[in-house]
Amino acid sequence: MAMRQTPLTCSGHTRPVVDLAFSGITPYGYFLISACKDGKPMLRQGDTGDWIGTFLGHKGAVWGATLNKDATKAATAAADFTAKVWDAVSGDELITLAHKHIVKTVDFTQDSNYLLTGGQDKLLRIYDLNKPEAEPKEISGHTSGIKKALWCSEDKQILSADDKTVRLWDHATMTEVKSLNFNMSVSSMEYIPEGEILVITYGRSIAFHSAVSLDPIKSFEAPATINSASLHPEKEFLVAGGEDFKLYKYDYNSGEELESYKGHFGPIHCVRFSPDGELYASGSEDGTLRLWQTVVGKTYGLWKCVLPEEDSGELAKPKITFPETAEEELEEIASENSDSIYSSTPEVKA
Amino acid sequence: MQTPLTIPVPVLRLPRGPDGWSRGFAPDGRRAPLKPEVPGIPESPGVPESQESQEQRARAALRERYLRSLLAMVGRQVSFTLHEGVHVTAHFGATDLDVANFYVSQLQTPIGVQAEALLRCSDIIAYTFKP
Repeated sequence: MAMRQTPLTCSGHTRPVVDLAFSGITPYGYFLISACKDGKPMLRQGDTGDWIGTFLGHKGAVWGATLNKDATKAATAAADFTAKVWDAVSGDELITLAHKHIVKTVDFTQDSNYLLTGGQDKLLRIYDLNKPEAEPKEISGHTSGIKKALWCSEDKQILSADDKTVRLWDHATMTEVKSLNFNMSVSSMEYIPEGEILVITYGRSIAFHSAVSLDPIKSFEAPATINSASLHPEKEFLVAGGEDFKLYKYDYNSGEELESYKGHFGPIHCVRFSPDGELYASGSEDGTLRLWQTVVGKTYGLWKCVLPEEDSGELAKPKITFPETAEEELEEIASENSDSIYSSTPEVKA
Repeated sequence: MQTPLTIPVPVLRLPRGPDGWSRGFAPDGRRAPLKPEVPGIPESPGVPESQESQEQRARAALRERYLRSLLAMVGRQVSFTLHEGVHVTAHFGATDLDVANFYVSQLQTPIGVQAEALLRCSDIIAYTFKP
C-alpha cells in the first residue's frame, strides 16, 4: 500500500518564520535554529523537531539565524539593529554586535572564529569573535539592502545577495571579484561547499551557479513565485517553496517535478535539507516549521514505518477512511493516526 | 492527485513544543548539544546537590496537591472569577493535559445558562469551591 507524506509540525513561534538553518552532524545529532518575527529564535533537535530552547534577548523581529558546524554557537540577525552570538548549549547571550540598521543575515566561518553580517545599511561586516570589541572589517559596494551573506570557498571568499545582484568578494583583499545581475528580486541563496554550487531563487526560477565563477549551471521554473530552495547533499533532489504555500520536490538532474505537498497555511519563507539529507524543514508565514521526509515511508526520527505484518497487538487497524481527506487537514490526520496506533495525546502548545 | 488507498506514514508522536514556562536548554532530559567536559564526571556531593533535589521534591509535592485538588473538584459547583470583573459558576467536569482548558457543565453566565462549555484557563483569574 502506498504511503503518504506525514509532515511533522513544530509549533511554538507566534509570528512568521523567516529563516532556518541546520548545524553540521555532531556526536549529539544535528540541530535546527529558526528565526521568527516574534523576536525569539528557537533551537530544536534536527531529526525530531523537539524544542530544546529559545534564545531570549532580541528586541525586534529576528531576520536571520545560523548555527556553527558543531552546534556550540548560534548567531542571529535582528530588526533591533543588532546581531547576537549565543552559547547554543546553555542558551546564554555571549556577544551583541551593534549595527546602524536592521541586520538580515549572519554566517560563521568553519572554525567559528569570524562572523559575517549584512543588512539594510548595505555593508558587509566581518567580526573577529575572539575580539568582539574591535571594529569589524567592512566591505561596501552593495546599492540596496543585503539579504543574505555567506562564506564560501573555505572562507576565502564571500557571497552576498541584495535585491537585484549577487556578488562574490575576496576575503583577503576585501574587493569584489564578480557579480550577477537579475531583473527580478533575489529571494534566497544557498551555498553547497561540496561541488561549490550556489542555489539562487528569484521570481519563479530556481537557478544553480558555480560558487567559484558565478557561471550558470542550470535553472528550473516553478509553478509559483519561489522564496527559498535547497539542494540535497547528494545532489539528487532539490526542494523549493514559495507564495502558493506548497513545497515542490524536483529531480536535480532531469528537472522533473517529483512531488508537491500542501500543508502550510501561508507562504513558505525558507526551506533547507538536513545535513544527512533524510529530511527537509520548511518555515512559513503561518508561524510553523514543518519537517518532511525525503524518502516517504522510511523509518527515521519520529516517522515509523509499520508494515501490516508487524502487528504488535496495540495497533488498531489503520484508519483508511477519514472524516476529512483534504490535504489541509493532514495535520489532524497525523494526530488522529498517532492516537489510534500509539494512543498518545499530541501536546497542544500556545 | 493521489491514489485513493494511500495511508499517511505513521509517527511515534508529534515534535515536542516549548514548555511554556522556561527558555529551555535543560541539561538533563533532552539530549543537550556538546557538553564541554566528559559527561562521566560525578557531581560534588554536598549542599548544592541536596538543595536542588529538595526543591524538586517540593515542586513534586505541590504539583501532586494541585492535581488532587482538581480531582476533588469533579462534579462540584465552582465559582470562577474571570477578567473584567465577570463571575460565573458551573459544575466542574475535567481539565486537559496541560491544564489549559476546563470542561464545565451548567455554566451560569450573565447572558444565560450554557449546558456544556470549555473555559480557557488563561481567562480565569481565580476559582473557588467547597468540597
